[in-house]
Amino acid sequence: MSVNSLQLSEYLENMSGMTFRRLYQQPSAAFAVFRRMLPHLAKTLVMAILYMPTPFLYSDLDVWVKPAAKRQKDQALSILRALHIITSIPASKDAQPAMALTTNFKNSLRLALEGGGDHNSFGVPSNMPVSEDLDIPFLDKYARKKWDDILHFVVNSVGITDGSRMSGETSNGPKGSVKELLIGGRLVERKSPTSPTIHITQAGFTFLLQEANAQVWTLLLLWLEAAEANANAGMDHVDMLSFLFLLASLELGRSYSTDALTESRRNMLPSLVDFGLVYIPAHDHKQFFPTRLATTLTSSESSLRSVSAGFTAASEGVADAQDKNAIILETNFRIYAYTSSPLQIAVLALFCELKMRFRELVSGRLTRASIRRAVDMGITSDQIISYLATHAHEQMHRVAAATKKPLLPPVIVDQIRLWQLDTERMTATPGFLFMEFDSVKEYDQVKRFAEDVGVLKWSDDRKGMFFANKVEQIKDFMKNRRKENP
Amino acid sequence: MPPKRKAASAVQGAVKSGRASAASTPGPATPRDLDSDDDDFGSPGQVDLPAEEDIQSAVDRFSLAHYQDQTVRGPVDAASRHFGNGRRDFSYLNLKPDHKDRPIWIDPQRGRIILENFSALAETAKDFLITVAEPLSRPTFLHEYSLTTHSLYAAISVGLQASDIIATLDRFSKTELPSSIRAFIANSTSAYGKVKLVIKNTKYYVESSDPEVLQKLLKDPVIGPCRVQGTDITTTTSNMQSVVIPGTSNAAGVQQVKPSDKSQEDVPPEQAQPENAMQALREDDDDDNSEAVHAFEIPDSAVETVQKRCLTIQFPILEEYDFRNDDRNANLEIDLKPNTQIRSYQEKSLSKMFGNGRAKSGIIVLPCGAGKTLVGITAACTIKKGCIVLCTSTMSAHQWRQEFLKWSNIHPKDITVFTAEKKDKFEGNTGIIVTTYPMVTQSGKRAYDSQKMMDFLTSREWGLMLLDEVHVVPANIFRKVSSHIKSHSKLGLTATLLREDDKIGDLNFLIGPKLYEANWMELSEQGHIAKVQCAEVWCPMTTEFYDEYLRTNDRGLKANLYIMNPRKIQACQFLINYHEQRGDKIIVFSDNVYALKEVALALGKAYICGATGNNERIRILENFMYNPNIKTVFLSKIGDTSLDLPEATCLIQISSHYGSRRQEAQRLGRILRAKRRNDEGFNAFFYSLVSKDTTEMYYSTKRQAFLVDQGYSFKVITQLAGMEQMEGLVFNSAQLRRELLQKVIVDTEAKRGMDDEDATDDLFYAKGRKRGVRRTAGTLGELSGGQDMAYIEQRKSANKSLKKNNKQSDFFKKHYRDIARNKANAQQ
Repeated sequence: MSVNSLQLSEYLENMSGMTFRRLYQQPSAAFAVFRRMLPHLAKTLVMAILYMPTPFLYSDLDVWVKPAAKRQKDQALSILRALHIITSIPASKDAQPAMALTTNFKNSLRLALEGGGDHNSFGVPSNMPVSEDLDIPFLDKYARKKWDDILHFVVNSVGITDGSRMSGETSNGPKGSVKELLIGGRLVERKSPTSPTIHITQAGFTFLLQEANAQVWTLLLLWLEAAEANANAGMDHVDMLSFLFLLASLELGRSYSTDALTESRRNMLPSLVDFGLVYIPAHDHKQFFPTRLATTLTSSESSLRSVSAGFTAASEGVADAQDKNAIILETNFRIYAYTSSPLQIAVLALFCELKMRFRELVSGRLTRASIRRAVDMGITSDQIISYLATHAHEQMHRVAAATKKPLLPPVIVDQIRLWQLDTERMTATPGFLFMEFDSVKEYDQVKRFAEDVGVLKWSDDRKGMFFANKVEQIKDFMKNRRKENP
Repeated sequence: MPPKRKAASAVQGAVKSGRASAASTPGPATPRDLDSDDDDFGSPGQVDLPAEEDIQSAVDRFSLAHYQDQTVRGPVDAASRHFGNGRRDFSYLNLKPDHKDRPIWIDPQRGRIILENFSALAETAKDFLITVAEPLSRPTFLHEYSLTTHSLYAAISVGLQASDIIATLDRFSKTELPSSIRAFIANSTSAYGKVKLVIKNTKYYVESSDPEVLQKLLKDPVIGPCRVQGTDITTTTSNMQSVVIPGTSNAAGVQQVKPSDKSQEDVPPEQAQPENAMQALREDDDDDNSEAVHAFEIPDSAVETVQKRCLTIQFPILEEYDFRNDDRNANLEIDLKPNTQIRSYQEKSLSKMFGNGRAKSGIIVLPCGAGKTLVGITAACTIKKGCIVLCTSTMSAHQWRQEFLKWSNIHPKDITVFTAEKKDKFEGNTGIIVTTYPMVTQSGKRAYDSQKMMDFLTSREWGLMLLDEVHVVPANIFRKVSSHIKSHSKLGLTATLLREDDKIGDLNFLIGPKLYEANWMELSEQGHIAKVQCAEVWCPMTTEFYDEYLRTNDRGLKANLYIMNPRKIQACQFLINYHEQRGDKIIVFSDNVYALKEVALALGKAYICGATGNNERIRILENFMYNPNIKTVFLSKIGDTSLDLPEATCLIQISSHYGSRRQEAQRLGRILRAKRRNDEGFNAFFYSLVSKDTTEMYYSTKRQAFLVDQGYSFKVITQLAGMEQMEGLVFNSAQLRRELLQKVIVDTEAKRGMDDEDATDDLFYAKGRKRGVRRTAGTLGELSGGQDMAYIEQRKSANKSLKKNNKQSDFFKKHYRDIARNKANAQQ
């Protein structure tokens, strides 16, 4: 199971058994979960008991698995249980403890494998004529552009108003609804509720550093959560999830009929178009094309591209192996990146001061101010360091290996950390300032009370003021005191 | 700030002529501008000397800002705005198809060059770039250079042609060479190197290989009349042999091998193709040697006029000395001792100086400890004429003489020292004199013998003037030196050609271009200078000190507080202790003399500052060198330069001169020549102690900029493990710290208004120790001599009048009479 499905599994595991039963009604969903979410051992187990007529005894399972692999077995079982794929049958008088597949899952998976039924769970291909241009490269380009728009919106939001760009050459970024989704998911933040200026958050930076597939899921889960929270919108999140699994099982480059979809699923299509998962020809709303982003949702093969590969994607044609590892960090805080991807440059701009740009080379330097800016945006020093390490140029790898020294200059790494620490030396305590007491006596008493109940944070006897982090008790105390000596 | 440069200059239209010339004529781009973090060339310094104005205007004309790149820019993308709103986005420059094999990028606006050090061509490219550009940063992977007028001047002066420079740059460049760079090089160099001032048979000749240029000069209303009457333009074909620099392998083989052969060996095999521009360029170089040159004579008196005029009409004069054809000045019997071998980089630097068989004036930049002295000596041995060496202090003057005797076979009588204490002339008709800058620049009345010595110096013609630590000499001082003392060629030596002020901006024009600058990291890799671990120790301020620091507005007190921060003193003590136990010899530097004394006393160590007498200095230094019990010495900034202590292996800096990059580099230089540097795994240590959260931190970063660009890295130490547990740690109780604080405050207050010891402690600005006198209030204890307060007599003449009205009290009259009587009685 790859890292990027972690989020999805977390999401799924939090769902109720009821939801799973509904989800597993669709063969595509069952199949997708089987393919995507299970470790190898769990898959083997499922396949082994899929066609068993009776529950499977745990004692038999112990015979199957080597004692040394007990940990893996327990892990597999716990995942299977969490995803409501198996149920345990407790020991009774006449039977030992056993396990069995849940009914819906078993039926759906059998259907998926056998290919029977009329559930249309794997989509209905459209019979309508398709234009010649709608080939796979076109779809890839389309999806990439859509997705890049979203990423650009996330990075470009730094210090620029409204996400709009200087040049009119490219598009104006993702749709408003997607923007709202990103803001709602706190990947980017408005500086103030009314301000049009937005900036990236720590979550947003983490998002950027993920693989594309994980990014897609992050966004989709945000979408699901939003739908869940907003129940009146008429979107059923279980149905949505199930539809996503359906999309994942479609074939890239084929067109599918929208007629075969239910009303609610047809309503989802516009959003999916915004994300770049689906393409619908402008003149023909009767058919849709899943893009690579959608068809690879549940496959472990890297989808459109990973982020690092993505940096090269924009510089199509010049991309080669070297570009993937593009960044050179020097001991004099200079950074050179072999890239011409606006996206990667935008990422670099988050934490360094860029100096010059040539085709395929960008020079910049890390400064206290630039790191501070990044830290203020919520990007951590560790994130920056790991970003630099993962994208280190092959020359850096070579020299590091030859001299047996760390990949990144340790001095720079320390300094980045120190710069971050520098910003963390102040701690804020929200609370209340008490001042302008009627008398010194009153001040003394109230202060002593605050001290006694342990809420006093700071006091200045000379100025007659103090600061406490909680107010209720003090308020009562003062009220009572006033009553006692009016 | 330079004006916002636009690609299409047509937009500017009429405005351009007015504004561009006013705003886009920044000052000299080098060397003070070498910190690469700024985007502009810096604003021109206001100079009031007329001569400097000329230079300024000459410099301005050659700034790259004049040349705008005309390349049409393609559409910009979203990322452009990160580069100064697209101004520094040069992605419109098209890459060559085989760009992967070419090592450099060139910034069309500022002439910055980025070099891939890992490229196969890097060595060749570096060799070329060091000649035509200034190195900015040279860490591991990517080096940066900057094309400046000065660097081009230097390139031309070693014999390169503009067309060669352009062709070679183009060959190395990954992109098409930007038109602005082409124009810049072509224009700058069209003016440089065309005219040379040659002294032949002690007559000055203005020489050029281009007759048209010479005609132009002769038609000039100022220069024309300067021509010596009755002389013609002489045309000679000079076929020059190259000089063999003593001490090199060439000299050993006594073969007249041309130096170019040597350098060609560096060219990797794949470079040895016919279209190899490097090679072609060297061949051209050789061709030059047999080119016809034209010259006319000018009288000695007109030299300066002509030089100035040439500068204004854009033909800066190169000075060259054809020393082998100089028969009038006697030859000096000097040669390197047979066992003296000079290192490859020293040879390289000297070959730049003697490139075409003549001695060129210029500056050679080598790190401290890399053998600058030997370079100077070798130069003197090559020229073999009278030589004057100028250095910064009496101490280093003696060191120079010793070095001369050590490396060369010069007769001890032929080399003398001229200082305040010693004023000897050499006996023969030529020789070497070592003196100090203050000795020859002092104005006003001189002692009789000094004056005689000065007359001797100024009346002679010197073959070579060696200028040690040339960065400490502000241009106006140097102007004085060169106007007093006539020399055919000048060689400046320094480790750090940078100053925070702009006082050396003109040295390039006054002495000559920078001929060579060595790569620190490379020399350290090769073991010529010690490997150094640099660390910056962050010492938090103690609460009391920080309180006071925040409260006061007095800069002096603030400085004293962060320098005297008890935690810093503790860290210093801890480090001294640690390194003494390791067997290191430690130098502690403090700029602040007050702190120097206090800390040295607190830790019980010897210190040397400006006020320390010469004998005491020598005693302390000898003890430091030879006495195994004395492992630590405290030095004020007098120890920054020219102090040769190969024993020292560890350096701790507790206070420094604001953001001076030069000082940091010079101080590091004190340990680069560590004796033990070639031991396996040996490391020298350089600690810089800074008080956290004070302005010191800010300066510290600035100071390190130069070294960091050379590839050094400063490790930040926030916590010295085990410091708290150390026994006998000073100031480790709050009581003691408070006392120290009080002392610092009181002493700072007391020192205010007195002579600013720190400012006068520099080698060059010392104007004798002034005894400050002031009126002051004081406690009764102080007034009666409890402190070091002393009275002086304001009106000495009053004493005489006192004697006149000799009115004695009756009591004393009677008393004295009694005494006299008693004596008389006793005698009877």
